[in-house]
Amino acid sequence: MAEQRRYRPLASTRQLEKTMTRYYALTRYHRLWGRPLRRPLAWVTSGAPVELLLAFNIHPVYPENYGAICGTRKVSAKLCKVAEAAGYSQDLCSYARSHIGSIMRPDLAPMGGLPRPDLLVACNNICGTVLKWYEALARIFNVPLLVLDTPYLPGEVTGHAVGYVHEQLKEMAADLEKITGRRFDARGLEKRLLLSKETISLWREIREFCRAEPSPLNAPDLFIHMAPIVVLRGTKQSLKYYRQLRDEVKHRVDQGLGAVENEKIRLVWDNIAIWYRLFAFFKDFSQRGACFVTDTYSGGWAVELSPGDPLESLASTYTEIFLNRSLEFRARQMIDLIKDFNAHGFVMHSNRSCKPYSLVQEVIRRQVMRETGVPGLMVEADMADSRVFANEPVKNRVQAFIETLEA
Amino acid sequence: MLQQVKNKNLNDSIGEEKLELLLEEASLNGSRRRERYPDSRFFGYFCSYWPEEIVLAAGYEPLRLFPAPIQAVPASLPAYCCSLARGCLSRAEKGDYADLAGTGFAHTCDTMQCLGGIWQAVAGHVDNTLQCVPPVLLEAPGARRYYLTELQNLLSKIGRLTGREPGKIDLIRALDLCRQIRRQAAELDKMRPYLPSPLVPALLRAGQVMPGTEFSAALERVIPVLKERMAEPGDRCRVLVTGAVLENDSLFKMVEDLGGRVVADDMCTGYRHYYDQLSQPDTPDPLEAIVQRAANMPPCPCRSRGHDYRINYLEQLALEKNAAGAVLVIRKYCEPHAWDAVPAAEQLRKSGIRTMVLELEGADVGGQERTRLQAFLESI
Repeated sequence: MAEQRRYRPLASTRQLEKTMTRYYALTRYHRLWGRPLRRPLAWVTSGAPVELLLAFNIHPVYPENYGAICGTRKVSAKLCKVAEAAGYSQDLCSYARSHIGSIMRPDLAPMGGLPRPDLLVACNNICGTVLKWYEALARIFNVPLLVLDTPYLPGEVTGHAVGYVHEQLKEMAADLEKITGRRFDARGLEKRLLLSKETISLWREIREFCRAEPSPLNAPDLFIHMAPIVVLRGTKQSLKYYRQLRDEVKHRVDQGLGAVENEKIRLVWDNIAIWYRLFAFFKDFSQRGACFVTDTYSGGWAVELSPGDPLESLASTYTEIFLNRSLEFRARQMIDLIKDFNAHGFVMHSNRSCKPYSLVQEVIRRQVMRETGVPGLMVEADMADSRVFANEPVKNRVQAFIETLEA
Repeated sequence: MLQQVKNKNLNDSIGEEKLELLLEEASLNGSRRRERYPDSRFFGYFCSYWPEEIVLAAGYEPLRLFPAPIQAVPASLPAYCCSLARGCLSRAEKGDYADLAGTGFAHTCDTMQCLGGIWQAVAGHVDNTLQCVPPVLLEAPGARRYYLTELQNLLSKIGRLTGREPGKIDLIRALDLCRQIRRQAAELDKMRPYLPSPLVPALLRAGQVMPGTEFSAALERVIPVLKERMAEPGDRCRVLVTGAVLENDSLFKMVEDLGGRVVADDMCTGYRHYYDQLSQPDTPDPLEAIVQRAANMPPCPCRSRGHDYRINYLEQLALEKNAAGAVLVIRKYCEPHAWDAVPAAEQLRKSGIRTMVLELEGADVGGQERTRLQAFLESI
């Protein structure tokens, strides 16, 4: 007999697929339209100030998103091995390894790999790895590399840090003028920021709906439906998509429909998804009525833009990204999520590939448990490289954790 | 004449004594600082970008923190982080650093960024853990101005620990001492090809774990003695070593034992720590001088002066020192060095320099490394 489904699929998923397929089709055939339309293709990090690039008519492509695709399609391990054979250590980020592997062996890679970039844009607000990763890419492709250095914030955001980033953004705009042959269009940037702002506002609204009991969304929904806000941030397509998603999620809340049937346990997720086990992993929870009502990862794209003139706004927004903040900030964020979403516990993915996210988690876990009184589980894995995932020990720990919550 | 000979013998014997002292300090790595320097108050740090001048200006002695030889595994850190972070944190948790006036974290890699927060939260150093975030892009627009403000803030923070913010005169004195030490270190670095491989790294490390004035005074006596001991390396295989932190000289000793000679080093704990291109900075402002030096140092992989700058620097260093081989040391889980190892090895090999990438759990080398190093040196 077939296993009973405990999980409610979203109708918007079809529109999501259409939106993403169109984006990747455009990306794939960039060689046909990019040059005639004078729209260079840039590979950018997920925390880069993409609105500035869009203002220059640049088509942004996200190797990190591609890394997640490789993970979901379960080809990362194969691609990582290719990079490892070329000397890249197995201890390096698996997004980076699988991406470099896809450049070396496009025949093994989804969509035959990403199309060659005209330029590279990296911002180190998410980790130090991106700087090294993009340096490697710059050597491979011999194309311009623009780096935005957003100083780590051990405490509150400081004026001199934002001022430094602002200075660099001005230079980046001047560099982009030279690269694209277009003048910096401040009004164009404002328009892009407005689109981002509206999209962020919708994404926030969607996430806020998950305070409802039962929650209309579960973590896999958040991870899958965050794709447009990552790769299409600052565009009309993403705005259109999130309007539709918002309406569907609102409808679920109005109707009292939960993502997980008979929601009994509400949880918070911390860290990037385990892409190659996305549904299998969360199924162990949803089958027991446990729903991940919010998370820290996809919430990274729900932070409102800072006020100020466009470049100033970009400077502080992109410096204040949560991964660029202190352990204390991160702990406070987790505590707030647990309280705001009335969560009974939380699960942390100790992600071997993402040190800035993961190394502080154990201290945060203890602090959050102390301050909220809810239990937290640590699961060691990797976001894309399935070779380090030990299914049985993880399953046992998950079961024991859920039993604790059920008791 | 007799008096001259007597003086020389006396100087030699003092020099020998001081050499022994420095080697002892290097082997202790600051572990017996309390009994050896009871009048000094030490301030811990991890990274060569940490502005030692500010620590000295505040009246403290900078102490580079190294992990214990026997590693414990602190519960606060996962197993997949480097033994430097794990080893130092476990020492902090045990109370080994309770006597320190404070600990300074200069932002470098993701691991150190995290360790700074954990240190405050776990190791009981809430108020005296100071963080300083130098720019990653040392030549970016606004970088110098930003770093200057960061240093001014650090000065205020350290002032809150001592009860008095160090003034300009304190800073100038500290700078003078650092410059003197850096000049001496440069002299040692020049002598390196003519001295046994482990000697210079040990002396350079001693300077990071003992009071600066004592170190400089001892070196003043030691350098003439070493000059007399200098000998042509003969047919020893000339090697460059680059990497992050090495808390002992085990690797250098092995290179020497196997017939090699380390003629150049680009270790965080080696000459890179002391590098000072400007004998006289072109600014009267001491903080500006610190900024200038940081911008001119050979960058570690966590900083950037253009994506090929460091790789070109390593190649040039190897060629200048006439190195026939290069050992790229990666501490397990150290991502920045692991990243750079790929292009560095490629470029060095293209320049005709035999290159090996050596991954180590800590600083100790054992049988496996011996076999690899032997084969490597024999192949040159």
